Amino acid sequence: MTKQHGSGLSATLATATCTLLGTAAANAVLAEEADDWDFDTALLYYGESDGRVQDASLNVLANRQFTDDRSLSLGLTVDALTGATPNGAIRIGEAQTFTRPSGNAAYDIAPGGLPLDDTFLDTRYALTAGWKQPLGRLNTFGVGVSASSEYDYTHAGFNTQFARDFNDRNTTLSAALAIARDEIDPVGGTPLELSPMLDVGDLSNRRGAESKEVVDVVFGLTQVISRNTLVQVNYSWSDASGYLTDPYKVLSVVDPETGVTLPRAVTPEVVGPSHAFLYEGRPEERSKQSLYGQVRHYMNGKVLDVSYRYMTDDWDIDSHTVDTHLRWPVGTASYLEPHLRFYAQTEASFYSPSLPAGIPIPAFASSDYRLGRFQALTAGVKYGWRMRGDHEMSVRLEWYQQRGDVPADMLVGGQSAADVYPDLDAVIAQFSYRF
Amino acid sequence: MLQTRPARFWAHSRIRQFAARALFATVLASAALASAVTTPSADPLSPHSGKVVLVDFWASWCAPCRSSFPWMNDMQTKYADDGLVIVAVNVDNDREAALKFLDEHPPEFEVHYDADRVLARRFEVVAMPSSFLLDRDGRIVDRHLGFKVLQQDEYEAAIRAALGRE
Amino acid sequence: MNERMLRAASALVLAAALDGCAGLGVAAWDRDVLARDDMQLTPDPVEAALDEHIYFSKEASSGGRGFGGGGCGCN
Repeated sequence: MTKQHGSGLSATLATATCTLLGTAAANAVLAEEADDWDFDTALLYYGESDGRVQDASLNVLANRQFTDDRSLSLGLTVDALTGATPNGAIRIGEAQTFTRPSGNAAYDIAPGGLPLDDTFLDTRYALTAGWKQPLGRLNTFGVGVSASSEYDYTHAGFNTQFARDFNDRNTTLSAALAIARDEIDPVGGTPLELSPMLDVGDLSNRRGAESKEVVDVVFGLTQVISRNTLVQVNYSWSDASGYLTDPYKVLSVVDPETGVTLPRAVTPEVVGPSHAFLYEGRPEERSKQSLYGQVRHYMNGKVLDVSYRYMTDDWDIDSHTVDTHLRWPVGTASYLEPHLRFYAQTEASFYSPSLPAGIPIPAFASSDYRLGRFQALTAGVKYGWRMRGDHEMSVRLEWYQQRGDVPADMLVGGQSAADVYPDLDAVIAQFSYRF
Repeated sequence: MLQTRPARFWAHSRIRQFAARALFATVLASAALASAVTTPSADPLSPHSGKVVLVDFWASWCAPCRSSFPWMNDMQTKYADDGLVIVAVNVDNDREAALKFLDEHPPEFEVHYDADRVLARRFEVVAMPSSFLLDRDGRIVDRHLGFKVLQQDEYEAAIRAALGRE
Repeated sequence: MNERMLRAASALVLAAALDGCAGLGVAAWDRDVLARDDMQLTPDPVEAALDEHIYFSKEASSGGRGFGGGGCGCN
């Protein structure tokens, strides 16, 4: 599927630690009915404009408290994905034809249209399970597993964390480790990196399933600053090795003078790509580091949360994320929470919107917009209300937009940034019920 | 310096008053000093001298306190005749929240409000909840940081020992 | 900033923070605000996981968040 698999490790770790965080949050809260099960459910809709990706998911997180701060958490997600996603080729003035990933059929794009692959209707199932308990008075220990499955991708992971309190529990040091192995079995087989897209029925440049292993480590420091303020700083390191390429994405081979995709000689009676496209290829290793800081501050009933993350990796991508929420009480039982998130990243060293013909084919190349240079903004609001029996419901609505920032020296010939970078506009809507 | 004979000196009422006050102050200071080493003297505790007192610091926002209250009710009922007194000291900033908690967990023991933290500071509370077991002489013989349901038997054993039941 | 610098900077930040943290904080009896649901570092774990999934799928960065600490500090 032409999406970065969310079952990637960092997501897994985040999910897993969030799962275990769920238990931590349940422990630390104002004394509530500590009876058996707590459920946190959510329905999420994510939809991009222009007929692109739409995703609906159902999520359930169940938490069972045992005596003395021990807890078990179980999570289930069912995710249905439809819609089209950019296949990496650039927009040109002519009509284009592409072979589908299966190799069994082809699809056409109108002149001037953004090449989108609408092949996939995908359902993903994901499970997480975690156990958390104290070790002695001042330490906490947790372990968990995660697994997910969709028709071309499976994931299995294990995670563990440890935390210790100091300074009368004002300071907490924590460490977490997650390891995962993911397998990808692309429809039609894995295409050879940087090889040409072939005619329908020609799978000669395909091979079997591939896999990758990811290790994630997080070190954190949480500090109570005052009665109303809490701060957390984390350092994360992640290493992925194996097959990191997106098997469904291509690059357009373009005329170095005009920047228009080169046509491909098509045999009569044979259906195949109309122009020259090469499958992308990424390195087999990626190492990332990030530094994250978060402040949560209470002021007269309102809660302000501000966080910043800096990420850098050996693909030359640097990113900055600034995320802020303000929870505003409305009456005694509900709240309004506006949210603003700003994100900026630089392009990967092997990112190239298109490949000019005539130069040697590079070892690695990808035109995936998610590895490009862009800025993104999320703006939204959430409304939540508490019901009797400590049940809580909330709804949120957000807009997410990405705007490409293609460096001028990456444009070939008459290309414009709009031709080569598909800006993104999406809506996020969620309904939650906790009981 | 006045050179008077001792009898005449002490006969003077002003001097007697002054001496009495000085002696009283010294005794009080010594008591205070002594109690700083043994038991913090506090209003809610003084009526219970001669009894074994369990001082428990709690708050409405403290989740383990939901488990400790039923247990303390149990202990108070079981050992009241043996001389156990439980004093639960509340450290909430919000009295309403404390009262709401007591509605949900009715105590069969004494509750004292320590919003200005006099007792909490004197006992040097470093964790919530905290409990201190005082013997019949007012000395702290046991201290627990936190409340663990699985350690209830140990807590009870300490109470029995202090009561002289073991 | 290159990776070795980031690693060193992070270690320094964490060490300095830990050292500086020795005096900071509140007394055990003043954790009432920190014990609130809405004062946890991740008050809504499901929402955080969903957002993480979205941004992981659409951007090149992921993770960063941690766990543990804050709260009522009980037991």
